[in-house]
Amino acid sequence: MPPHAEREAGGDDASRVARVWELVAAQAASRRRRVLVADVCAAAATSLDVSGAWVIASDGSRPGQAMCATDLVSETLAEVQITLGEGPCHDAAISGVPVLAADLADGAGQQWAVFAEAAGRAGAAAIFAFPLRIGAIRVGVLGLYRDKEGPLDTFQLGDALILADTATMLLLDAEGRQTDDLLPGAAPASQSPDLAAHNAEIAQATGMLTEQLGVSITEAFARLRAYAYAQDRRLSDVAHDIVTRRLRLDPDPPR
Amino acid sequence: MDQELLSDTFVDLADTMVADFDVIDFLHLLSDRSVQLLGASAAGVMLADPRGQLRLVAASSEAVRLLEIFQLEGEEGPCLEAIRTGQPVIEPDLRHAQQRWPRFTPAALQAGFTAVHALPMRLREQVLGGLNLFHDQPGPFDPADMRIGQALADTATIGLLHERNLRRAEIVGEQLQAALNSRVVIEQAKGKLAERLGLDLDTAFTTLRQYARDHNLRLSDLARTFIDSDPADFPGLTPARRRHRQ
Repeated sequence: MPPHAEREAGGDDASRVARVWELVAAQAASRRRRVLVADVCAAAATSLDVSGAWVIASDGSRPGQAMCATDLVSETLAEVQITLGEGPCHDAAISGVPVLAADLADGAGQQWAVFAEAAGRAGAAAIFAFPLRIGAIRVGVLGLYRDKEGPLDTFQLGDALILADTATMLLLDAEGRQTDDLLPGAAPASQSPDLAAHNAEIAQATGMLTEQLGVSITEAFARLRAYAYAQDRRLSDVAHDIVTRRLRLDPDPPR
Repeated sequence: MDQELLSDTFVDLADTMVADFDVIDFLHLLSDRSVQLLGASAAGVMLADPRGQLRLVAASSEAVRLLEIFQLEGEEGPCLEAIRTGQPVIEPDLRHAQQRWPRFTPAALQAGFTAVHALPMRLREQVLGGLNLFHDQPGPFDPADMRIGQALADTATIGLLHERNLRRAEIVGEQLQAALNSRVVIEQAKGKLAERLGLDLDTAFTTLRQYARDHNLRLSDLARTFIDSDPADFPGLTPARRRHRQ
């Protein structure tokens, strides 16, 4: 498709995000529970013409942990990469950039000869790995595989990136729920999440909060989301107030 | 036009195969030199995010007014048109362009810009983004300037892709996403530094860039390590040291 037709097919940014969210939310609805990272994998497998999907959680400092996989082959591909410490997901986690291996058998310039053989035996011909990150905040990797070689088309690539952004927010939600003294920053399941991936003010405000609160960038973002949720305000509006210095968040008083 | 600066610019823009290449720094170089060479008041590079949105990745100034205009350009405006059509889009007098871009035009005029041109960054049939030039005077543009502007935009496309081997179509998506990611890290670092030193965001950015040059660091690497650092790790970026240097 020519670029402008692709853009129209994809819709403007907000409606495209909403459309992708609907695919994810529908997976959760069919299982009668709140939205989880596994729903992103399921949505990816059904809507992107891929054979399976998985998510590995990792902050980059330790080998990751597989969070979910749509099928046994995906599970195998996730585990083998973690065990071998090589492969497209491994490279994506380290570089922070998507690794799109449309033909695993094409060894030119690739660093994963051992993995490629194992993946081929498992039935994978192509793997697409998307780091789950918001700038310096890193939480894991989304992996997709196909049983035949060939690249994602531009439209599928765009949707895959939005699914990756969604998985990032859901993983951050999951982390938040594990810590009792953090308010959940999750959007209700009926509403698409405020995807923060490319909003400059949200990024600036997050950076400012690392200094205001004396915390890591990941923690700063959690606090920003928690504040927005508690105040029932949009994340981007709270970020705007922080950046324009109408709002400061202060560290919790000592207990 | 400063011929020596023009030659130096093409040399600098072609110098993308070095180990310390940084795409964001590169696109800032492009923006800055476009302003100097083409007599523009401001310039910015926008990239077509595969998610279907137009994103600013570098501008000649981080002034909020300018950035807001680029934000609007994500929805409507010369850069979006240039990307959709693959052709340069020129408006020599924004005062007559209210109908053309009903939201973009008043915002640009309010910021003091009366003319604009947007040059597509093309790779074969694909348009990856646009080099956007703003002027504070209306009037037609010198065709020679426009040819050079397009040449700068085309050179930047090659730099963005950062690879001569373009057989793998996936490279475009990967490299675009790398540029977008770097920009977010830099925004986070800007916020952190602005808060630490009590600076506005524009000054925080130029401080980071200068620090990277002074210490031979890639801008993106500095941004990333600065975000994860303690104040003691960057003595040149703490308030006490800055007071002494003044």
